[in-house]
Amino acid sequence: MKSSPLFFFCLFAALGISLSVFVFGTNAQYGGLGPFADENEGATFPQQPLGLAARGLLVYQDLGCAACHTQQVRRADFGTDKERGWGERQSVARDYVYDDRVLLGDLRAGPDLTNFGQRAANRGQDAAQLMVFLHNGQGAMPAYPFLFSKHKIVGQPIPGALTLPGRPSYELVPTPRVQALAAYLLSLKSDHDYPETARPQPAAPGGEKK
Amino acid sequence: MTEVPPTAAQPEVSGIDASARVPLLLLLGSAILWLIAGGVLALVASIQLHTPEFLGGCAWFTYGRMQAAQETALVYGWAVNAGLAVALWLLARLGGGPMRGAGLAAVGAAFWNLALTLGIAGIFAGDMTGFAFLQMPAYVQPAMLVAYAAIAAAGVLAWTGRRTAFTYATQWYAVAALFIFPWVFSVAQVLLLFVPVHGTLQSVVAAWFGQNLTALVLAPFALAAAYYLLPKISGRVIGHYDYAGHAFWVLLFVGGWAGGRHLIGGPVPAWIATTGIVATMLLLFHFTVVAINLAGVFTARGSTVLRFAALGLAAYVLGGLLDAITAARSMAKLVQFTYISSAQAQLLLGGAVTFAIFGAIYYLAPRLFGKPWPSSALIRAHFGAAALGLVLNVGGLLVAGWIQAGDLAQPAVAFTAIAADTRPWLFAATAGQMLALLGALALAVNFARLLLVRAKQPAETLFRAPAALEVPAS
Repeated sequence: MKSSPLFFFCLFAALGISLSVFVFGTNAQYGGLGPFADENEGATFPQQPLGLAARGLLVYQDLGCAACHTQQVRRADFGTDKERGWGERQSVARDYVYDDRVLLGDLRAGPDLTNFGQRAANRGQDAAQLMVFLHNGQGAMPAYPFLFSKHKIVGQPIPGALTLPGRPSYELVPTPRVQALAAYLLSLKSDHDYPETARPQPAAPGGEKK
Repeated sequence: MTEVPPTAAQPEVSGIDASARVPLLLLLGSAILWLIAGGVLALVASIQLHTPEFLGGCAWFTYGRMQAAQETALVYGWAVNAGLAVALWLLARLGGGPMRGAGLAAVGAAFWNLALTLGIAGIFAGDMTGFAFLQMPAYVQPAMLVAYAAIAAAGVLAWTGRRTAFTYATQWYAVAALFIFPWVFSVAQVLLLFVPVHGTLQSVVAAWFGQNLTALVLAPFALAAAYYLLPKISGRVIGHYDYAGHAFWVLLFVGGWAGGRHLIGGPVPAWIATTGIVATMLLLFHFTVVAINLAGVFTARGSTVLRFAALGLAAYVLGGLLDAITAARSMAKLVQFTYISSAQAQLLLGGAVTFAIFGAIYYLAPRLFGKPWPSSALIRAHFGAAALGLVLNVGGLLVAGWIQAGDLAQPAVAFTAIAADTRPWLFAATAGQMLALLGALALAVNFARLLLVRAKQPAETLFRAPAALEVPAS
């Protein structure tokens, strides 16, 4: 290897090819993917997150929740995601078109959260209960006491304050950050069927093939 | 492409080293400080995995932030600083002339570390980006790009101005690392942070960047050092050197594609995972050739530097093998999202890259400063602690990950049960982190003493017998 120009040309080529395929190629393939207009329901899916939930994604990101939680459901025969109740169908690219920052996650020290809002609704967990859970933590899930201010009740309880089980004389005042985080978590739901998720046909581009 | 590597008969002290002293001192000094800071952060993060309430009362120290901060400190602080120092030194030496652009490199090093400090403070304050290996806030990243270019310029100048036409494997890997980082770093910054692409394209770009950073920047730093140290110290030629070029180009052309293996089964086009798996398999050729080329590190006796390099090589090849095994879909289904992925990252960063750079530092620092290491006992202590630490850390994470994979495959096992099952092995990983930190402290103390002690004899007489500078193995 004596020629510097040839060396640099090959270096350029090596990186250029992987860059064009991975970055520009994928962008051309599904960079323009938008929501799906469902004529039966007269609405588009996925639904755009509302203000508080959209702000909650920022809290989710800055606390680093994605270090332990994934947000991607794998197909039914690939792992036990469906059996664990994380989602009826696998996640597809369209589920994420409204996410400003996509945090798929790469470790499952805790459960997948793709359909957390759905699960919470099913078991009747509301924002107040979720916030108490975030305050206390459980098992491998750490407590997040710094998202609240806790003090003794003096006179009338503060509106919106929570009570801790077994601590009747204390009230827990959630900060706006934890309210946004709870709204975000409760909004997590991707269960609408798109053309590419319609079972049993094979998935269209943008989805993992069956 | 065949040429004889430089021999030990070359003069050991020259103007080349003197010209590089200031930027290399800055790079190495900050690298060692980051190694300790990152080691402390990694230790805390490791404790939090099995004891979640540890430092949990404060937003600054959540596991998510701690994990991002330790990764950033060890990758951008330790591995890049030290890797750049080693690459610049090797390129200047093999180029055969004094370092040009040393002043610019020193300024770049200062700004790199300033921006990095700010970036890690930003992570603790809650500005992390959420992308693996790119966690620093957007506001420090452009400055780091410019600083890197300023440092790398000295290396590229040493390559283009080299006195001999032919080039050696060390130079290819070093130049590739210098050149590829700014490219992939700038692409990732623009497409993930400043003009973000939509939806899961972000995950694709992030996987592509992370793969390029680890496989085509950090690993080449280590390979550049290993290809230089083995013939230089043992005095033997590289076995089957003719294939080294093939191994290099296979890594360059295929390495960047292997990032797709992290997205198997994910919400991205299926071909990304498929090409990722194929690329990971093709890389086995690269690992095989590197193992054959550098196998001499395992048989060379009497050199602590080569013992570090040997452990680094073992970790590198084992990591490649593990990547190939876990990339197979039937395995990925099980071990995806478990601590096994963390173990693989540790094997490459904490094992292959870190140990090769340790070896290079122990070799180059006496030559750079014209003084022998003050304590060979500290060097042996470092080796022992670091080696045992690596085994405990990677081994602990592997077993924990395997248990976690088995538990995750049974829907009835709850996460509290998984946490209890993996706990003892995560303790082992913590012990490993603690040992690694102790080893790093031994290096730091030795390095500080090396800088502070006055040379007992002029460097020229000292280097008349280069073996005296070599760290005795026992």
